[in-house]
Amino acid sequence: MDPLTWGEIIPRIIVQLTPVWIALAVTFALSITFKRRLGLYGKLFDSVIGMMGFALVMFWVFAAVFGAMDLILTHDPLAQSGNMKNKVPGTPYTKMIGEAADGAYPYYLLGGDNLGRDVFSRMIAGAWIVVQIGPLATLFAFMAGITLGLPAAYYGSKLDTSLTFLANLVLAFPVILLFYLLVTPEIVATGIPTYMAMVLFIFPLVFIVILLNARYHTQPKVRAPLLAAVIAVLGLLYLSLISDSSGPIRWLPAWLDLFDIPGGILVVFVAVVFVNAPTVFRIVRGIALDIKTRDYVAAAQTRGEGPWYIMLWEILPNARGPLIVDFCLRVGYTTILLGTLGFFGLGLPPESPDWGSTINEGRKLLSIYPHPALPPALALLSLVLGLNLLADGLREESLRD
Amino acid sequence: MVKQAYDGPILEIDQLSISFFTRLREIPAVMDFSCKVMPGEAMGLVGESGCGKSTVALGVMQDLGVNGRVVGGSIKFKGRELNAMSDAELRDIRGSEIAMIYQEPMASLNPAMKIGRQLMEVPIIHEGVSEAEARARALEVVTDVKLPDPERILASYPHQLSGGQQQRIVIAMALMANPSLLILDEPTTALDVTVEAAVVELVKDLGKKYGTSMLFISHNLGLVLETCDRICVMYSGEAVETGSIGDVFDKMRHPYTQALFRSIPLPGADKNAKPLVAIPGNFPLPHERPRGCNFGPRCDYFEAGRCDAGDIPMEPVPGDERHRSRCVKFKEIDWEMLALGADRTETSEPGDVILRMDDLKKYYEVAASALFSGGETKVVKANESLSFEAHEGETLAIVGESGCGKSTFAKVLLGLETATSGDITLDNKAIGDTPIAERDTQTVADVQMVFQNPFDTLNPSMTVGRQIIRALEIFRIGNSEAERRARMLDLLDLVKLPREFADRMPRQLSGGQKQRVGIARAFAGDARIVVADEPVSALDVSVQAAVADLLMEIQRRQKTTLLFISHDLSIVRYLSDRVLVMYLGHVVEIGTTDQVFAPPYHPYTEALLSAVPIADTRVQKKHIVLEGDIPSAMNPPPGCPFQTRCPWKSQVPGTKCETEMPPVLDMGDGHKIKCHLTREKLDGMEPVITLAAE
Repeated sequence: MDPLTWGEIIPRIIVQLTPVWIALAVTFALSITFKRRLGLYGKLFDSVIGMMGFALVMFWVFAAVFGAMDLILTHDPLAQSGNMKNKVPGTPYTKMIGEAADGAYPYYLLGGDNLGRDVFSRMIAGAWIVVQIGPLATLFAFMAGITLGLPAAYYGSKLDTSLTFLANLVLAFPVILLFYLLVTPEIVATGIPTYMAMVLFIFPLVFIVILLNARYHTQPKVRAPLLAAVIAVLGLLYLSLISDSSGPIRWLPAWLDLFDIPGGILVVFVAVVFVNAPTVFRIVRGIALDIKTRDYVAAAQTRGEGPWYIMLWEILPNARGPLIVDFCLRVGYTTILLGTLGFFGLGLPPESPDWGSTINEGRKLLSIYPHPALPPALALLSLVLGLNLLADGLREESLRD
Repeated sequence: MVKQAYDGPILEIDQLSISFFTRLREIPAVMDFSCKVMPGEAMGLVGESGCGKSTVALGVMQDLGVNGRVVGGSIKFKGRELNAMSDAELRDIRGSEIAMIYQEPMASLNPAMKIGRQLMEVPIIHEGVSEAEARARALEVVTDVKLPDPERILASYPHQLSGGQQQRIVIAMALMANPSLLILDEPTTALDVTVEAAVVELVKDLGKKYGTSMLFISHNLGLVLETCDRICVMYSGEAVETGSIGDVFDKMRHPYTQALFRSIPLPGADKNAKPLVAIPGNFPLPHERPRGCNFGPRCDYFEAGRCDAGDIPMEPVPGDERHRSRCVKFKEIDWEMLALGADRTETSEPGDVILRMDDLKKYYEVAASALFSGGETKVVKANESLSFEAHEGETLAIVGESGCGKSTFAKVLLGLETATSGDITLDNKAIGDTPIAERDTQTVADVQMVFQNPFDTLNPSMTVGRQIIRALEIFRIGNSEAERRARMLDLLDLVKLPREFADRMPRQLSGGQKQRVGIARAFAGDARIVVADEPVSALDVSVQAAVADLLMEIQRRQKTTLLFISHDLSIVRYLSDRVLVMYLGHVVEIGTTDQVFAPPYHPYTEALLSAVPIADTRVQKKHIVLEGDIPSAMNPPPGCPFQTRCPWKSQVPGTKCETEMPPVLDMGDGHKIKCHLTREKLDGMEPVITLAAE
């Protein structure tokens, strides 16, 4: 068989991504039809920039999801073929030993890397890792930042001073050095990352419990069962998350431990949350300082509301505009951070298809074979660009009217 | 540029239409607007917010932003068409021939530049004069605007001056180039009344001295009466009536003008015997204007088929000079007829004392340096020996300018702060030392507050109904969600809002409607004492009356004690039973409304009364202009707090005013004045406001 030309490769990639195009078309058709009823999300479709950003982001989200469902991948991202080492894009797929299985995709669309793995499949599979960790880690960072930022702004004085100092301390620490420290086997062995996870992951639990308690404490009949249910479910999740059969914390019996997070991922997660939370803290504190002078906050105080109700139900909802915008930007930063971590080979296993690791591997032969490093780099670029455009669009639209 | 001599109209606007273009539609902001300003004439432009009066001013400056455009008509300045001018020509005119003064003085001054440099820029740019000459001119103008120590002022930065001084600098800057036309857009709205009076006085004098024509934009009819020769009333983008002050104030020929005058509290109005007549309905949104007359749906004289037939032109009023009205029926309406539907109500008798303040003091300690806490601290005396009683069902007005301590007092009463010393007793229960977290639910529900700014009083991300239900939950009213919802709907009825509003978001409501929701929320727990902090001052004139009357009606029904905090003496005179005047944390006068509004006065009350503009041509006022600004509470003057500005100080022998705190004089019947003036001097005071005999 002859290698494919670029004129043939591109249509084949487009066909291969068919499920993504269908999903994007459906999302846009539905959203534009009902945009007047969808609030801020609907308004996004009034701004060209916002729509472009949203399309880029959703492209990668769908690609990641369908990739994980094995609808897009042409080859197993981890399978190697001695014949395919550093082959250029469009090379027909052959194996060094034995015949290729029947029904196997006949080409490496974007070529093979230095171990003869399919670059296209690895890029798509890498998207799944990035799309999973990025937003989730950012969300945890937000929960921690909000839970600490609101009281700092609301109570002020000593609490504010000490929390702000703590945030500055974390921000002043060199990030890369921190990561290196966290993944060093000696440090992992002491259990420090696990203990940090224990502290950082308690915030979502605390946040949700306080949120509901503040809202329902006047109605004991609703509050008791609701809180009991929430604490049971979230508490179990939390304990499953932090306790690990091989880690330093083994609080849950094995039959109750729902899942174990691979040590590497947990470290990456902890690191990302740890460096993002102080920035979120500062933003939340700044906005809350402004909102707490509003009359509706005074009105809540004069009717005897507790401080947590005021923080979470009067101040937080009105800070959502800037926070949503920051969230989008921050997912972008997190994605870059994950790339950086992968690039330095920190945290994730070496064969992992995530974009940072693949860029790093491709880098070694960059001057001879640029094709293995470019696709993940462009993927990372387009996803972060999409997130930034989305944030711009949201900011523009939320500022109007 | 050389200024040409010109004796025609300074500004001639003919059938001007201005629209703003948004994503969705074109929004006409001004339609078919015509007016003429002659040399040396002051024209008042009056209307409610959103009526297009500021847009007219921006149109004259040709500064409509990216969305705005003049879509028809002409604006001639000294005979030259402004719409056709190039940017360079406009730049030449702006600042030198037409100057504008905005509402917020701090926003008009460059905070990073010394006052002197900012003033000198004007002649240097427009006339190319030397620095020395520009500085000499700046010094002269700063002296003209009556600022003390001009040299020091020129060398200071804007933030070192008070609001009143800043506004004087803005006026000075406008006058630097000796313009032919001065546009003033609500120049005193951000200032305190006594400061406002001084600034208005200054503008009037300078207008005469420099022979400048003025376009004075305001929502305050009284202010326009004091400053202008002619007036133009705007409603929803159109001029509805224009004419000389005398014609429009005394012989109005448009139903909107009439309704406006009936809805503002003039001397003689009384909440029981002669209540105000609110204008029904709401101001139409620019894209929802009715066909024909814009005021039609709210007008008493509306006649289907005529008023909504088509565009209505401005018609001259026969017999008057340059008096025009935009009403098809103005020749048929009986303009002398009294307003319909103004019901008299019974005067309610105040009941027992429910709230008593005894020698209340509230001091704040402020660290002298913000960086290092500890060390030296300063004491701010926000409230100083406050004593009074409030009875059930009465309205007690607390009057004073910013910084007088009225908000601090409200905070202490509501439990957001605790008193430094002294007692507050509610039903014989001391609450002065109890912060709100330790008060029982009943006490909290009993003392509630209505806030000033309607755009800030409701949580923007919660529905109206939810916010009221939350108050009910907190006050433990109702046993189930359904019961509370029913009670919430009752409360909406109480404040006369449609029940559908329960599911609306606050941004879908107008200012007056939001204020009503705020009132409903305050009364959720059947409050017995409601502190109303300037509840109507941020509202448009036509809705003020409706909201004020609503408060009165609820008060009558529920026997609520209303503590009405305000600086607007017109509304205070109309609403309240008793008045308490505060200055720098001290109560300087207390008594029934009649006692306070008639001599003998405390000198500060007298100045306040004289400062408040009254929109009635019959009123004769004694002119008292206070010098200077209110001293800072951080650094109060020794002796009598008012001594630095008191016009009567020379009447007190010796240095008693500077050294001794004045005693409280009992003038009989609970009327108390805190002053060093002798009884005879106080008794000899003349009334500030007199109604000329008709």
